[in-house]
Amino acid sequence: MASTPSIRQFTACIRCVRQIPTANGRRRLLSTSAVAREELQTQAANATPPAPPSNPPEGAAQNASAHQVPEYMQKWGTLDPQMVENKKQERRLLRREHVQPVGSRRRRAALRRSALQKAVEVPFEQLPYQCFQEARKFLLEDRQEKIKEIETQQLRIKNLMEQDPQLSGGLAAKETRLRSMRKHLNKLIILADINDPVVKRKFEDGQGDMNKPIYRYLADQKWRKYKRLVLDQRITQMSVIPDLLPSLDLTADIDLGFGRKEVAPGDFVDSAISEKMPRLNVQTFTPGEKLVTVVVVDADVPVPEKDSFTYRCHLIASNISISPTQTSIPLQRIAHEDQKAVDPAAKKIALPWIAPWAHKGAPYHRLAIFVFEQNEGRMLDVVKLGKTKRSVFNLRSFADSNKLSAITATLFRTKWDDSMAGVMERAGLKNRINVEFKRKKVEPLPYKRRTERMR
Amino acid sequence: MLLPRILAPVRTSLATPTTFIAPSIRVLDTLRVANGSSAPTPVLSFVRHSAHQAQGRANGAKDGPGKRLGAKKSGGEYVIPGNIIFRQRGTSWFPGENCKFGRDHCIFATESGYVRYYRDPNKHAKRQYIGVALEKDHTLPYPLNAARRRRLNMVPVAITPATNPAADRVVVADLTVGDGTGSPSSIRDTPREATRKSLKLTVGKGYAYREANWQIGRAAERAGVKVKEFVPGDRWTAWRRSSARIQANIERKRLRNASKKSGKPKARKQKA
Repeated sequence: MASTPSIRQFTACIRCVRQIPTANGRRRLLSTSAVAREELQTQAANATPPAPPSNPPEGAAQNASAHQVPEYMQKWGTLDPQMVENKKQERRLLRREHVQPVGSRRRRAALRRSALQKAVEVPFEQLPYQCFQEARKFLLEDRQEKIKEIETQQLRIKNLMEQDPQLSGGLAAKETRLRSMRKHLNKLIILADINDPVVKRKFEDGQGDMNKPIYRYLADQKWRKYKRLVLDQRITQMSVIPDLLPSLDLTADIDLGFGRKEVAPGDFVDSAISEKMPRLNVQTFTPGEKLVTVVVVDADVPVPEKDSFTYRCHLIASNISISPTQTSIPLQRIAHEDQKAVDPAAKKIALPWIAPWAHKGAPYHRLAIFVFEQNEGRMLDVVKLGKTKRSVFNLRSFADSNKLSAITATLFRTKWDDSMAGVMERAGLKNRINVEFKRKKVEPLPYKRRTERMR
Repeated sequence: MLLPRILAPVRTSLATPTTFIAPSIRVLDTLRVANGSSAPTPVLSFVRHSAHQAQGRANGAKDGPGKRLGAKKSGGEYVIPGNIIFRQRGTSWFPGENCKFGRDHCIFATESGYVRYYRDPNKHAKRQYIGVALEKDHTLPYPLNAARRRRLNMVPVAITPATNPAADRVVVADLTVGDGTGSPSSIRDTPREATRKSLKLTVGKGYAYREANWQIGRAAERAGVKVKEFVPGDRWTAWRRSSARIQANIERKRLRNASKKSGKPKARKQKA
């Protein structure tokens, strides 16, 4: 049901095209919540591939952690993510095995029924419908065609690479040609798999492997359809983009949260909650590992002397590696690891987190979170970054001087609330608690008497 | 060929019954018309119908009082928030930087600064805008990718200890007790809830001092009210209650119908 022989062939084919690290366990893409995703990642090491429903499995994960789970949980019996049917079982599955149920409840119920009745399990490819089989045959033919095209394209690229640049019209022309050929090759790779019902099903179940281009492509398309639009709108409407950076093309999905609480872009966050560092989930859709720098900037620090605003840096964390399969940036945990590290250069957090705060009565503060890709995957000097001044922080010049390019951004907002006084006291700003901002009175223009001349 | 055509009217005039002989003058006339150009001479003619009112307000007043539209502040003039810069019918001008539309499309300033009349092709190709530049040497529009220029327009003030909420609360709670008359009866009438020691009143959205909703919600708990426990699946109680409700509804309906005067005639008997 799960993997066709044809797919296996194709993965082998892709591997010879480009070097991609092997799949690490199973994950749910985009279709699941971020919290569950993170839990899954921690659990991914001992996870088993999804077993076919014909033989209800004794999950290896379950056996391995059986001695850890409490007794009342063991009474729940086996919970198969393919076959849990009601809400209670789904909850228990998530609680005990930290695994999301797969697919729709209707499908799980059907699988369970058929398993109970000991019905003969027909593999997906062999379903006895004539039209279905004809369609499959057609799609397979198309796939073979595409694979042949891929092979010829690879050969062409290889030949061109070996060719003398003088023959192919100069080095620049050769590079352009190679680039366009590679682009076409990537397109073909997507086209070969895009119509595969198994691929579609795996993606919708959240079991797609983000190391493979087709799943990355599908995830990207899904993100662009709604989530990216919302994020883009929030960033531009709240003027993060001209205020902090001149422009930004979002290329990676980002989820923001504090502890267990999810924060939508632009939400007001209670000051007690934002006292701790946020956690980020950055889903990239381009292959390979990246080193990223995370910067949090407050864009609305009031300066009453100059009657204007300035910026303040709340956090700089550098040299964090992410990849399509490694999306989580748990800043809290990174800070813990930093405390253990002896070498100051090996640390990742250059400027530690300070809690966002706002004066009473002041307009709301936008806390923008930027994720920058580091130039050519080079490590940045954390000790040098640590000397950055927090107040009057200019993100444009910071990004320019460190050769950073922003891949994504998000924001949350803060204003005075009940817990702000406590937060400010703990942050060592006790003398500023008793300051309130009030609107300045506007002086009216001097009254002009209507004189004879004005008439 | 031409001659017979020219002479045709002559022929017709000659072809009139013999009893009537046209005078020689008419003959000359017809000849003149036939030889002249075929187009009719333009004639100005007015028809004056008695039913059409030409004077007064019948055709809409064309010349009412002026509405004093137009620019109230010229380019470069200093304005403060709320100053109307331009009055117009429709939208000849659009509000740009630090400006807004009024309810009649007039444009007013939201910041103090210097008026600028400008176009912004990045925003809209055809519109003309009125904006307020914050500094005298600024030109509008501001560059597209630059950080916005903003003013705080606020001053830091020390929070006065007089507005200590705890002190307020006590006073307010006392006020609610006696309703001002000071008579013992008024105090007795006030519910016991209001005299509670731990009563905390806060200012809500409506500028009224009131308890928080969660505190109100626990009133029954404080009063020690016992509610009969709901037993799911107790059909006997459910049936009793529902039948009582149905009875009450029937009774209510009957009373309502009795009080209503029957204006409508009764329905006719149905045909067999």
